[in-house]
Amino acid sequence: MKLILDRIRVERGEWHCSAEGTFLPGIHLITGRVGSGKTTLAGIMAGVMDPSSGEILREGISSCMLCQQYPEYHVTGSTLAKEAESYGIVAKNALETAGLPGRGDDDPFSLSRGELRRFQIACLSLRDWDLIVFDEPFSALDCQGKQKESQRISALSSRIVVVFTHEQRYLPKTDYLWEMREGVLNYLGTVPEAIPFWDTAPVHVRMLLENGIIPANLTEEDIREGLCRMRG
Amino acid sequence: MQDARLRLFSVLLLSVASFISVAGAVLTLIWLLLYPVYLIAAVRSKAYYLLLPFTGIVALVMQLSGGDGLSYFIRMGILLLLGFTIFRGWEPGEFLDLSVWLFGTKTGFDLGLAIEMTIQGIDEASRDWSRAITAMKLKRINPGIRNLTSIGFLLIHLRLLRARDQADLLTTRGYQSGGSCCPEFHPSNRDIIASFCAILILFIALIPVRDVFILMM
Repeated sequence: MKLILDRIRVERGEWHCSAEGTFLPGIHLITGRVGSGKTTLAGIMAGVMDPSSGEILREGISSCMLCQQYPEYHVTGSTLAKEAESYGIVAKNALETAGLPGRGDDDPFSLSRGELRRFQIACLSLRDWDLIVFDEPFSALDCQGKQKESQRISALSSRIVVVFTHEQRYLPKTDYLWEMREGVLNYLGTVPEAIPFWDTAPVHVRMLLENGIIPANLTEEDIREGLCRMRG
Repeated sequence: MQDARLRLFSVLLLSVASFISVAGAVLTLIWLLLYPVYLIAAVRSKAYYLLLPFTGIVALVMQLSGGDGLSYFIRMGILLLLGFTIFRGWEPGEFLDLSVWLFGTKTGFDLGLAIEMTIQGIDEASRDWSRAITAMKLKRINPGIRNLTSIGFLLIHLRLLRARDQADLLTTRGYQSGGSCCPEFHPSNRDIIASFCAILILFIALIPVRDVFILMM
């Protein structure tokens, strides 16, 4: 099972971005500056947008899902139960996983954006997708929510999981590291070997690198462990 | 066109010209070639092709009942194209500027604000629609009639939520009625020439085609 981006290029007026690479099962983390084309690339990977040129090959991928930047973009049901069913999952399980038991008859828009995000990630994680693309999955979540959802995403590593994020602290256990640099997607390598080459690394990771410490991974626990090593 | 006043003036003249004669409509189509980027965008607009069949139905009924349906179809088709082309070239805030320039900072401001918010609403609804279709595509739901109804409810719901947020924002900013706005317009030579052409087109549309040839002779 793999996703291949073959000389993908998107052009909109003077703006452009390009990508090339192979995505194998595991967690792929993609970071980059605002406006570098992350959301566009997420849409292309999930098959909801077409590139200006290039080809996307989905070998052995029969199901794919995109977790869009804003959770309300996904709502198609008038109640939380119907919304869960629209993903093809049992409503009760989704509501319990999202910490919203007994609220199946509630209007999805009566939830806060954070609650809706939690509910959406719960729905996505309860089905077996071959490819899941997360576009800023931690937006609208508080620290506790970010920690929980990054753990939930880490648990999906048997499939191809691509996470586009700006999150600085609560990151999932990552297998492969990528970075958007001046509109081009760069493969940095496997984690932890690739961490020293990461330009847009979060501040704590940079601090560790400056002190000669490479964390084992990017989860909060790994970073904390690295900071403990730094303190001696 | 950079100057919203000249644009509105030209559109009014060309609308009348397109409506009253086929010659006026054809000349309006030629006038639109002055703005090829917006014209191409209008021709590619799905909404244009959604509205055009309705004009076709009316034209067909007219033709069958003894009227000049073909002329109606050409005139209305070009009139619609004019509307779509001009709308494509409109920048956010221009209606507010124009309205304040026309009716002042009290009534003009309120009217301009209402128009801007309506246009913004149409724009947002269009984006919400494509997002809902994307969500359905991702969930492998067929966007049939039954599901389209639920998207309709979703769009209304989102619109009402945004309207509430906008109302809160206006209240927070102390809006009651009217406001300060200093519109600035920068007419280019091209704008002036295009407006002059619009006057000529209306003039030609007002006189019968036969008379134009007599004048030319």
